[in-house]
Amino acid sequence: MERYQSLEKIGEGTYATVFKGKNRSNGDAVALKEIRLDSEEGAPSTAIREISLMKELRHPNIVRLHDVIHTENKLTLVFEYMDQDLKKYMDQHGNRGALGPIVIKAFMYQLLKGVAFCHDNRVLHRDLKPQNLLINRKGELKLGDFGLARAFGIPVNTFSNEVVTLWYRAPDVLLGSKTYSTSIDIWSAGCIMAEMYLGKPLFAGSNNQDELLKIFKVMGTPTEETWPGVTKLSEYRKDFPYYPPKPLSTVVPMIDTFGMDLLMQMLIYQPQRRITAKDALNHVYFNDIRGYANLQQQQQQQQAAAAAAQVQMGGGGGVPNGQMMGQPSQQQQAVPLSSNTAPPQQIVYQQQQPQQPMAPQHPPLPYQVVQMQQQQIMQQQQQQQQQQQPQHQMPPQSYSQQQQPMHQQY
Amino acid sequence: MSQVKLSLQNALLTLEQLQQTPSREDGITEEQEDHLRQLGCHLIQHAGILLKLPQVAMATGQILFQRFFYQASLRKFAVRDISMGSVFLAAKVEECPIRFLDLVNVFDHLIKKFHRQPLDPMPAYQQTFYTLKDATVVAEMQILKKLSFNVHVQTPYAIMINYLKVLELMDHPIIPQLAWSYLNDGLRTSIYICYQPPTIACSVIWLAAMKENVALPTSPAWWEVLDAKLEDIENIAGHITSLYHRPLPISTLPLTIEQVEPYLRGELNKNASNGSPAAAATASLPSTSIKGTRVSRFS
Repeated sequence: MERYQSLEKIGEGTYATVFKGKNRSNGDAVALKEIRLDSEEGAPSTAIREISLMKELRHPNIVRLHDVIHTENKLTLVFEYMDQDLKKYMDQHGNRGALGPIVIKAFMYQLLKGVAFCHDNRVLHRDLKPQNLLINRKGELKLGDFGLARAFGIPVNTFSNEVVTLWYRAPDVLLGSKTYSTSIDIWSAGCIMAEMYLGKPLFAGSNNQDELLKIFKVMGTPTEETWPGVTKLSEYRKDFPYYPPKPLSTVVPMIDTFGMDLLMQMLIYQPQRRITAKDALNHVYFNDIRGYANLQQQQQQQQAAAAAAQVQMGGGGGVPNGQMMGQPSQQQQAVPLSSNTAPPQQIVYQQQQPQQPMAPQHPPLPYQVVQMQQQQIMQQQQQQQQQQQPQHQMPPQSYSQQQQPMHQQY
Repeated sequence: MSQVKLSLQNALLTLEQLQQTPSREDGITEEQEDHLRQLGCHLIQHAGILLKLPQVAMATGQILFQRFFYQASLRKFAVRDISMGSVFLAAKVEECPIRFLDLVNVFDHLIKKFHRQPLDPMPAYQQTFYTLKDATVVAEMQILKKLSFNVHVQTPYAIMINYLKVLELMDHPIIPQLAWSYLNDGLRTSIYICYQPPTIACSVIWLAAMKENVALPTSPAWWEVLDAKLEDIENIAGHITSLYHRPLPISTLPLTIEQVEPYLRGELNKNASNGSPAAAATASLPSTSIKGTRVSRFS
């Protein structure tokens, strides 16, 4: 423990206490999670899971586990320090808890990136909730708490943990499904998205049954028609009260058209039809963010390629990247996209501009939302295909390329 | 600890790591190490059966046990303790936790059986219980530390079932069970440390099909379609079959750290090992007892 200095206590859970700390060698702030070792149970399985998974999940949107220190009767996990969790952020910065659309979009994008990375690595988080999403001063959002630690201030009793988690639990799990998969994290992400717009939880049930009824009241009581196979789940009751589905746009009215479409795809009853994290990231809702991210990405790639070309040519290593932008034809061969990096992004953004304001001006009926949405998506795809045949493949391509340097970095 | 390179795939060892194990550096011969590894795996498999754990948990336990002794010497850590810790940890990792009392009872029973002692039930909450329980807690943490918490294990069971379906062998009366048993017995060898699960799955199917004289597609060769190399398949199969030619003198092997030094000097249970190796082998047959075909290595 000499390497880290423990400062103030920032949280306490059933099996762990979290302190803010400092790395003595470089002064970096860290979070120290101290886990008491119980001679009755040995190492807590949550800790084993958390450490073994988080050590391997290295991603900008997942809280980094720096170190594990074992002393006599406790285990200390050293995490990168994050300023606060999403719950506190909403309380502090939100308008009665509700956040602005731009902030929400940025957070959702990062949340889904982290989830997509977990799912790519076959890891289910299984406990996504605002308290487990950590935010730092740069506005970065990272998934944390792959075990179960709770923020200070939330009452700690044997049921509270269950209740907190319950609000984000997928209906198939609530109905007793044991074969859940990545789709359970997507349901939680959908609940969190709605909560950021609303400023309060979307489905705040007090127990399993109540949680289901809260969901049914909005989404409608599921039937074999709306959810084939639902009656075979172990917790399904024939005497569930019948509620017709309510348009989500009346429950979360402040959300725009694109956002509503994404939310609806995340909150689909049938787990296998729920959108995947990867597809969600490619949703139109994120077009502007993705354009910006791609632009940055391509600039980085361009610079990297230019630097590589420079090295091959035997050029001086210390030349600043900016000077290489318009350099010899070699680098254009290496990165064919580089010559037209900027224009396509601008065009995509302009296409979107006139469409976006439509949502707030004319609140559409739910079926219209879907129709409009589909039309818009199709239009956009067609336009993209027609106008920019060569660049059309860029977003998915860049996205996959984006992952490669990340692995190489670590 | 943070410097260790990890991935969610099974960690495989290099040739040097395989040849120069900590035990070998500690003066334990290859044969002795092999026997002790087999003993630990034997204990874990049988404890798992008595504890009604799923086979995947027993496999995880045995792989953890094997991995551990590539990081630590058999002179410093007792087979009994580490195999108990492995079962305890594997049960947690595979989300089928067990109670201390059950674990300790089962190990006490197995050890008595190995040493042909009367199978009296262990007195509840007496010295033996606390000794074994504390040893388990310590062993669990040792395993976690030595493996730097890299306790995720991929097993080939589900993959093998899929391959059997692809090869339309699922309805064969013998092959699925035989291949499954080869997977279980293979846990006692180093194959899980040297090869990825899909290759192992191919190998046991290859071996089972050969034993049953069932011809499988050869143009192209079915294993090539499943991305495995014949060389690897044959190598794995060789490791598995060699098990059945090496009898394990269970009652002569050390379980605790106090027994290790006498064992290495050749003084442990001399009486028991006086006879032929077959006479010394007291424990029950390995897991491979298949309908009709008995594959026994204590012949």
